[in-house]
Amino acid sequence: MTITWTDWQATAVPLLLALGAVAVLLIDGFWTTGTKQLKHTVISLITGGVILFGLVFVMTQRDGFKPAFCRTAVEGPAECSLVLEPLTLGLWAVLLLGGLGVVGLSAYRLLSADIPVGEYHFLLLSALVGGTVLAGARDLATVVIALEVVSLPSFAMVALRRDRRGSEAALKAFLVSVLSTAVMLFGISYLYGVTGSIYLQTIATRMPGIDPDLRQVAFAAGLFVIVGFGFKIAAVPFHGWLPDTYSGAPVEVTAFLAVVSKSAGVAGLLVLVTFGIAPSGSDLRIVVAILAAVTMTVGNLAALRQVEAVRLLAWSSIGQVGFLLAPLAVGDAQAVVAYLAAYVVVTLGAFGAVAVVQRHRPGGLFLSDYRGMVRSEPGLGVALVFFLVVLAGLPPGLAGLFTKFAAFQSVIDAHYGWLALVMALNVMIGLAVYLRWIAELFRLPADDPFSVDIESPAVGVISICAGAAVVLSILPGTLFALSG
Amino acid sequence: MSVLLIALMAVPALAAAILWALPAGTGDRVAAIVGSVVSGLVLVGSAVLWWDLVRPRAGSAVLVGYGLGDEAPRTLPGRIYAHAETDVSWISALDVRFHLGIDTISMPLIALTALLVFLCCLYSLRITPRAGRTRSLIALLLIIEVGVIGTFSALDLVLFFLFFEVVLIPMWLVIDIWGDEHDRVGRRRAATTFVLMTVLGSAVMLLGFLLVHRQAGTFDLEVLGANPVAGGHGIALIAAILIAVGLAVKMPLWPLHIWLPDAHAKAPTVGSVLLAGVLLKLGSYGMIRILLPVLPDATATIAPYLAGFSTVAIIAGSLACLAQTDLKRLIAYSSVGHMGFIGLGIATMSPEGLAGALYANIAHGIITGLLFFLAGAIKDRHDTSDLRAIGRALYARLPRIGGLLTFACLASLGLPGLAGFWGEMLILLGAYHPGDSLPRTTFVVLMVIAGLGAVLTAAYFLQLIRRLCQGDPVEHPATAFAVDVSRIELITWTPLVVLTVLLGLWPFTLLDYWTFS
Repeated sequence: MTITWTDWQATAVPLLLALGAVAVLLIDGFWTTGTKQLKHTVISLITGGVILFGLVFVMTQRDGFKPAFCRTAVEGPAECSLVLEPLTLGLWAVLLLGGLGVVGLSAYRLLSADIPVGEYHFLLLSALVGGTVLAGARDLATVVIALEVVSLPSFAMVALRRDRRGSEAALKAFLVSVLSTAVMLFGISYLYGVTGSIYLQTIATRMPGIDPDLRQVAFAAGLFVIVGFGFKIAAVPFHGWLPDTYSGAPVEVTAFLAVVSKSAGVAGLLVLVTFGIAPSGSDLRIVVAILAAVTMTVGNLAALRQVEAVRLLAWSSIGQVGFLLAPLAVGDAQAVVAYLAAYVVVTLGAFGAVAVVQRHRPGGLFLSDYRGMVRSEPGLGVALVFFLVVLAGLPPGLAGLFTKFAAFQSVIDAHYGWLALVMALNVMIGLAVYLRWIAELFRLPADDPFSVDIESPAVGVISICAGAAVVLSILPGTLFALSG
Repeated sequence: MSVLLIALMAVPALAAAILWALPAGTGDRVAAIVGSVVSGLVLVGSAVLWWDLVRPRAGSAVLVGYGLGDEAPRTLPGRIYAHAETDVSWISALDVRFHLGIDTISMPLIALTALLVFLCCLYSLRITPRAGRTRSLIALLLIIEVGVIGTFSALDLVLFFLFFEVVLIPMWLVIDIWGDEHDRVGRRRAATTFVLMTVLGSAVMLLGFLLVHRQAGTFDLEVLGANPVAGGHGIALIAAILIAVGLAVKMPLWPLHIWLPDAHAKAPTVGSVLLAGVLLKLGSYGMIRILLPVLPDATATIAPYLAGFSTVAIIAGSLACLAQTDLKRLIAYSSVGHMGFIGLGIATMSPEGLAGALYANIAHGIITGLLFFLAGAIKDRHDTSDLRAIGRALYARLPRIGGLLTFACLASLGLPGLAGFWGEMLILLGAYHPGDSLPRTTFVVLMVIAGLGAVLTAAYFLQLIRRLCQGDPVEHPATAFAVDVSRIELITWTPLVVLTVLLGLWPFTLLDYWTFS
């Protein structure tokens, strides 16, 4: 097999990200002179630059369709391992924007000093390599490998702060991840056995024609794969690891888990469901729909009881994944990408705000620590209110409202009335979750109001997130144009 | 004129943003003055727009007057002949258009909104809730105005839904921050119940809209009005039920009214006025604007049930009123009864019933607005709205307020000659002649029950007057500091009193708009 120019194009972004990862690790290792600040800044800039290149690439390649690493099949069209198409580019844009946001949140003085900066950025870029490959993967082997490339750096990052909570959080995530990979590989082996191919496209074409006796096996195999992904994206009932991991990790890493890691998982599942194992009409789609309904309900209900900001975001992110799974279950990639993009932008902003509070207020984990922030720290307070309103999906957060709307529309158009009703109920529960926080922000300040000098990189990232959320609220069409 | 319609929303929105940009220490007076000026401009703008809508034009017959003797054609509002239209594509991927416009159904409601918001801002010049923060209160009132006017002028289902939701968080904040200062837990619960029930209602309504879109392929109300979704069963019926339930939460219809008494009772005076005066109208307006023209057959299928629930609301609301010991809760429950009448009028699907419902909409907005202003005034003077604690003999202690309260109660119970009468009369007439596809016997029975409800309404309002206004002044001495109507109160209430009388004496100034041909 010769590597063609198209193959290089399709892998340009992951390759460059990988090179960047190696570069930052080397710079960190061999940089001994100069201040810590300079080193941190250089590493941040390299990481950001590499990611920015990816974003520029995505913009220049819009509307293209480039299948790479193809093999002529015995029958039917060529089988390809990696496809660069509008959907891939949309997912890349989401992943890279999320990564860029995390880099911004981890700038000098923001990232706590005991985290080794080189390793941190190396792991971040490595995870992005996995995520970008996963979004373009069109065969099962690539999917599994890419998913592992996302997962392994993730729990290494959780464990970067070497204290007990961090180690416990990382161990939990690690064990769950290993288990889910095992389950998924089991499912994949059956899928290969039933269809005789690991290419998603071929699986999809052969699936309807397989021996009726093997139907059950194929269904079970698909189920195993979905369950494996369910662990990764923390769909209920495979979510047990998430809250502890989120609250045990440093806030920047939690933001990474909630944004990059989660988007990658959703991207993988989206690719699998829409292109391969669950073509339209398959029973597996109903499984995903049930998963969506349970996930959003449990996530939102649990979030309702949380009193810590990070735990509330952790549980509500489970609820958001439920909402993401709904259009995913009916194969509406456009709605999924749009929802994911809006979610990424405002989640980054919310975690940025949480990080500011936790840095400046020792033990400031609770919602009550945010009391009166709209008055005492207006910029941050209003931005946080806006992020939460977008997450809840109410005006003025039109970015959230219209992506929820698109999810409703695709579910209704696919005749899943019951799922739409569950979603309607969850809009209410979700609103109740975020209103508790918003209410604290709008109260009059307590005796020691939160008012500090926020570091300029944090101001920058939060302002950019808020600005992006405002623009996306005025022109929600941009979100839907991401994937073609 | 489409620029004017957009300005009616853009100006208050901008003003709210400017108010928030002012430093937090900005004086309450400054904020209230800004609010009054801006909402006054909106009121003038809506008056100009109204004139532009109805002014006689060559070659068009917008106004067709029917005397009492003429036979009005029995047609219902269907096609929208929109005025001051704006129609641009907004989100093409979702088939959402930014489509605004007004007609004779929405224009009076827009004017009512502008009037009530203006009066609320004017009232805030002197009288504000004890929580302070008037700057934010005024800004939120202006945002509510944007949302309500937007809902009344939206000609796209998604835009309607969007503006419908705009008012939620501001109103939640108004109740939560400036509500009853004696009951923090209670006002928080009231605010949250309000916002959660309404958001669930609007989400359910959205499902109905999406089903309509699946059937008809468009969200545009003008197109849908011209090509309604036919069929009274299946998907159309489900869509109609979902939309009706969603709007019924907002309206609210029994048994979905449970958020209302608390929200109205705990809200500050201006909040209660806007809740009762304009927010409830969003529900009834939605039924007239969307349910009837877009899903006519399916609406006919559910109309008897809608009428049944409305009648229950009339009776249940009145009975609840008889048992109330809290002035604001009593007025809140009376709204349930009145909105029940409006629901019945819509459900008759007859020209009389619909004209009556539209008329009662306006009348209820004005009268209940006045009632809540008065209740707020009485509450401020006694620091409680508990009827037992306020005591009797208001005529002796606060003669002018007592007199106005009696006037408003009489208007609300439907005394002929005042605004409340015509709407309810026409609704009962409509129930006697329901639409051709509806079971007449059912509606006649419901008409009789609703008539009994009207009697009950009279009973509880008269009981209220008796318990509050009359009595021996010796037993209930006047509190020394309580002043009777102050100047700002007089200025704020006069327009409402005048309109109540005008609408009672010349109903055809409005009713002529609603004879659809």
